Amino acid sequence: MAADSATGMLRSEFKAGVSKLSHAVLSAVVVTVLAGSWQSPAHAITRDQAKRIHDRLTGTPPSDALLGQMAGLSALEAAKLAIDPTNAESKGFYSVTLKNFATPWTNRDQTVFAPLNDYTATVIGMVRDNVPFNTLLSADLLYTGNATGAPAFAATNNNHYQYLEDNDSDLRTTLVSQSQSALTGIPSAATAGVMTSRAAAQAFFIDGTNRAMFRFTMLNHLCHDMEQVQDTTRPPDRIRQDVSRSPGGDSRLFLNGCIGCHSGMDPMTQSFAYYDFDKTQGRLVYSAGAVQTKYRINIDNFKPGYVTPDDSWDNRWRAGPNRALGFSGSLPGTGTGAKTLGQELGNSNAFAQCQVEKAFKSVCFREPGNSSDRSKVSEIVASFKSSNYSMREVFAETAVYCMGD
Amino acid sequence: MRNAYSAAKLWFKPFVWLKPLATLSLLATLAACSGGADTEQNADTATTGALSINYIGPAPSSTDVQAFKNEFWVNVVSSSRCGGCHNEGGPASPSFARSDDVNLAYQAALQVVNLSQPDQSRVVTKVAGGHNCWTSSTSACADILTTWVRNWATASGNGGAGTQIQLVAPADKDVGATKTFPASAAGFSTTVYPLLTQYCAGCHTSAAATPQKPYFASADVNEAYSEAHSRINLDTPSLSRLVVRLGEESHNCWSNCANNAATMLAAINTFTGGIPVTQVDPTLVLSKALTMYDGTVASGGNRYETNTIARYFFKEGTGSIAFDTSGVEPATNLTLSGAVAWSGGWGLSVGAGGKAQAIGGAGNQKIGDRLKSSGEYTIEAWIAPANVAQEDANIVSYSGGDTSRNFTLGQHGYQYEAYARSDKTNANGETVLITRAADRDAQASLQHVVLTYDPVAGRKLYVNGNFTGDTDAQGGGSLSNWDDTFAFVLGNEISGTRQWTGLIKFVAIHDRALTLDQIQQNFAAGVGERYFLLFNVSALSGMAQSYVMFEVSQYDNYSYLFNKPTFISLDANAQPGNFQIKGMRIGMNGTEAKVGQAYIPLDVTVSNANYKAGTGQLLSNIGTVIALEKGPDADLFFLTFEQIGTHTRAYTDTTALSAATPIDKAPVSDVGYRMFEEIDATLSKITGVPRTNTTVKATYDLVKQQLPTVESMEGFLSAHQIGIAQLGSSYCSALVADPTLRAAFFPGFNFSNATLGTATERNLIINPLLAKTLSTGLSTQPVSAGVSAELNNLMDDLCPPGGSCAVSRTPIVVKAACTAVMASGVTTIQ
Repeated sequence: MAADSATGMLRSEFKAGVSKLSHAVLSAVVVTVLAGSWQSPAHAITRDQAKRIHDRLTGTPPSDALLGQMAGLSALEAAKLAIDPTNAESKGFYSVTLKNFATPWTNRDQTVFAPLNDYTATVIGMVRDNVPFNTLLSADLLYTGNATGAPAFAATNNNHYQYLEDNDSDLRTTLVSQSQSALTGIPSAATAGVMTSRAAAQAFFIDGTNRAMFRFTMLNHLCHDMEQVQDTTRPPDRIRQDVSRSPGGDSRLFLNGCIGCHSGMDPMTQSFAYYDFDKTQGRLVYSAGAVQTKYRINIDNFKPGYVTPDDSWDNRWRAGPNRALGFSGSLPGTGTGAKTLGQELGNSNAFAQCQVEKAFKSVCFREPGNSSDRSKVSEIVASFKSSNYSMREVFAETAVYCMGD
Repeated sequence: MRNAYSAAKLWFKPFVWLKPLATLSLLATLAACSGGADTEQNADTATTGALSINYIGPAPSSTDVQAFKNEFWVNVVSSSRCGGCHNEGGPASPSFARSDDVNLAYQAALQVVNLSQPDQSRVVTKVAGGHNCWTSSTSACADILTTWVRNWATASGNGGAGTQIQLVAPADKDVGATKTFPASAAGFSTTVYPLLTQYCAGCHTSAAATPQKPYFASADVNEAYSEAHSRINLDTPSLSRLVVRLGEESHNCWSNCANNAATMLAAINTFTGGIPVTQVDPTLVLSKALTMYDGTVASGGNRYETNTIARYFFKEGTGSIAFDTSGVEPATNLTLSGAVAWSGGWGLSVGAGGKAQAIGGAGNQKIGDRLKSSGEYTIEAWIAPANVAQEDANIVSYSGGDTSRNFTLGQHGYQYEAYARSDKTNANGETVLITRAADRDAQASLQHVVLTYDPVAGRKLYVNGNFTGDTDAQGGGSLSNWDDTFAFVLGNEISGTRQWTGLIKFVAIHDRALTLDQIQQNFAAGVGERYFLLFNVSALSGMAQSYVMFEVSQYDNYSYLFNKPTFISLDANAQPGNFQIKGMRIGMNGTEAKVGQAYIPLDVTVSNANYKAGTGQLLSNIGTVIALEKGPDADLFFLTFEQIGTHTRAYTDTTALSAATPIDKAPVSDVGYRMFEEIDATLSKITGVPRTNTTVKATYDLVKQQLPTVESMEGFLSAHQIGIAQLGSSYCSALVADPTLRAAFFPGFNFSNATLGTATERNLIINPLLAKTLSTGLSTQPVSAGVSAELNNLMDDLCPPGGSCAVSRTPIVVKAACTAVMASGVTTIQ
């Protein structure tokens, strides 16, 4: 029989032990777990509720001492304590929960196994520091680590963040807020929060036409993929030349499909006209005043199409069915460059709703699924906005809602 | 021998100017400039092939008569053409095809030709109108006659005036009556809506698992009604997208697609039947209306065709023959077979199993003879590949089978490829020249693709007027070994084994390798049927004879292309003054098109400063496609404006927003598993072993992607448990191997001499495990005594009978006990 090289245990022995105990424990626990009712939090919560709040927020079990402390508090206070960065046991919230919360947003495959990078670090830092999260797509901000031995931040590689991950740096304490423009050298006015992070650029500005940045930002931060915002009634005048109006000789495909997304997407993606990811240098490049050549590829696909002259953008989805996305009435819905587009998206109701729904999924292990859930999400969205877009507030309130009986 | 249709004198500029005509006050002239090549080549009619003429009359009295004879008369004098009637003895007059005296024939012909505008010649329009065409296609005869007249004009020097296109004021038509959507969804809710909610709600609602716009199956009938507007055609219900999608595209039919489409059509008919025909919305600010054929033909005249020996416009639209309209005899006409259909706006749509092949020896042999004689050639095509996945797909081929050919232009995914036989290649024209894969030269959109061959450089490919940059390593050679028994075929190999699918809108063969300038000239000339449509806005602008002019073509079978709207007056002396044009929309059949309104954002001031008599003022250089409804002869277009001059009409956004309550999701487990990194962090926190421990990290990196990535209990697999066990084992191993850590974790237990034979010793292991993994005072976790009993049983199993282990085995059993707890639901369920 083969033996495990690390433990010296016989495999059969090992399996037998695990199997027995797992079965017994699972049976004991699972019988009590089907959802169906949720109780309003009382002032003081039970230890079971405190345990669940902590587990869901940090991904790790609390110490008995912390559990006792949380159980003596109101639910919301307990939840806030669990993720209070001054509480050493909140490390899991920053280094594990938030990291895995944000990592899928940073790559096209939406894999959670991508390494820590400047995008995820910035999300984590903004949550930790209660930076208004509606600036996620527009701030001149980037978080780096101050861990001893870490290579310096470089705009051309991810070594700095890879080191932090490899060394299990406590992101609760090591992350430091920095000026993105100072770090990367692109103008402050050209920074657009995580959209101009290296990771996002590498994923979404690489090759192609820069539409990927818009699509994935919509998907990740407004929780709407293109199929859900398709509106064929918007004017197609800003759709670029590279979009065939008669794919394979059948314009019905364009008139009933392509136009629905491109008529809204292309006028907004124009804001990225000066950005590219330089694969040779391995970094984001910004060509102030000069439209990237990728905006003028395949121009013969439809010669009478739109020729991008600059980085001005318009939000055509402020009219029609997509005005349901709730764009801010205090913004003009037009502008130049990625930063103002980031403000347009970040201040929409859909953005706030999306962050809350993602937090809900992360903490409650399900999407809002009934009227009670939806009502709660609406409450938390309101709370998110009134708390100056504090994501810690969102996580705490959500954890309270799903803390169980 | 040349087909002397010289573009040198027919250079057409893409702008227009007016040429006022005294007798036609409503005519304006779109004229062109001279330019292009310096020399002209005369036709050698002795080798025109099919028509053999033995002329014994008087010699031509002038060079112009000589040109007439060579380029026109020789082609029409046969009794099987015009000469059968228009001869010296009648019965028809004028006798431009008389065979006794070419000088008299010339005099007669001058009455029926227009050398400055060949396509406007009486002889052309008469045949185009159905008068004794010698082929089955009047358009083919008209094109061929046009070519002969143009060749005559060019050879005699009369073609130098350039092609002139005259803008003709269309007869004013009013916008017709139509049906419009009622404000209330009541009619919709009892007719179409029930079908949509029954069969389409799986996707087309915002509450669907994978929501798919438009939400016409929404639980909110008002939202569904609003979303369905663009999918229902009130005037022609059978064209409704809801019907077409089922019937023609087999989109998620619920049983039989034809029956489902009929059911949907019946429901829409019931719905539309209850809607009264109303006059066009009286609040709209309207132009006058016209159909596409009310416009002025805008295409043709500027191609370089001096060396064309075969040419296909695909104008026929019916029948099974695509005619070679090059005018070079014998014609290489193509017979359509299989899945080949005529496409709107001129073209051939080639589907699986389809091809168009020249049948008969003479036409095929012409190509071989001509090209062998010149030693060089060009294959020119306007095509739209159906997709970019098809490989080894022959677009244009002159071949004898799968392994023998004279030339082939083909598609290979995103690449174009060319085979060209010469004395330097094998019989299949290999090696193949293929464009660089990374360039993705082939796209599933309309492209101008040209293959040239010359004896020195060999093959060159051009796409949309640009050389692809791919050089022919093989180089050129002699065509002397060509086989002129091969057949010319489009869309396939003659064997039918190299299928290409897509749209072919034009093909030409030239017996010269065209230069880059000539190729770009032909690319700029465009393709297909195009018209200048003049929408009368005189009553709105206050300017005499003023129009908004569009260049319009049928883009494919399903849409029109509207391009370059220009404000223009046919009165050369009129000036616009200064006024605004804003929010322009294209209307069709009494209502504004719902999709493709590219000129809504338009906001332009028409002014004397920006307006030029003859060319007008360009309003936008953007083009847009608008869905075809009834066809180019019936669709009646018009324009509407938010503002033109002092006329205004406000538009408000009335789109209904969803008020539908999402459908509740099925309840799911209220607890879940920790995910991969949470498990790692949890084990580290409990055992005190750092996550950076070399052994542990190696194990984690190994099993990371085997661990749960979602919390869902329903998604938990046995493979997850194996991964968890491996990681737990690794942590426990690291814990037990580290004297400091294990002493802190298992205080009082002596790993040097303990045998786990007593309850005391075992409790020194079991109790710390319980204390560190089970919290105090929880009801939703395993009962401590139960876990303890299981661990004791495990130790019994792992130690020999009697319960004591050898000292050397003790650490192994401790690791097993530790792993049994760490890798269990005690730690992994949250």
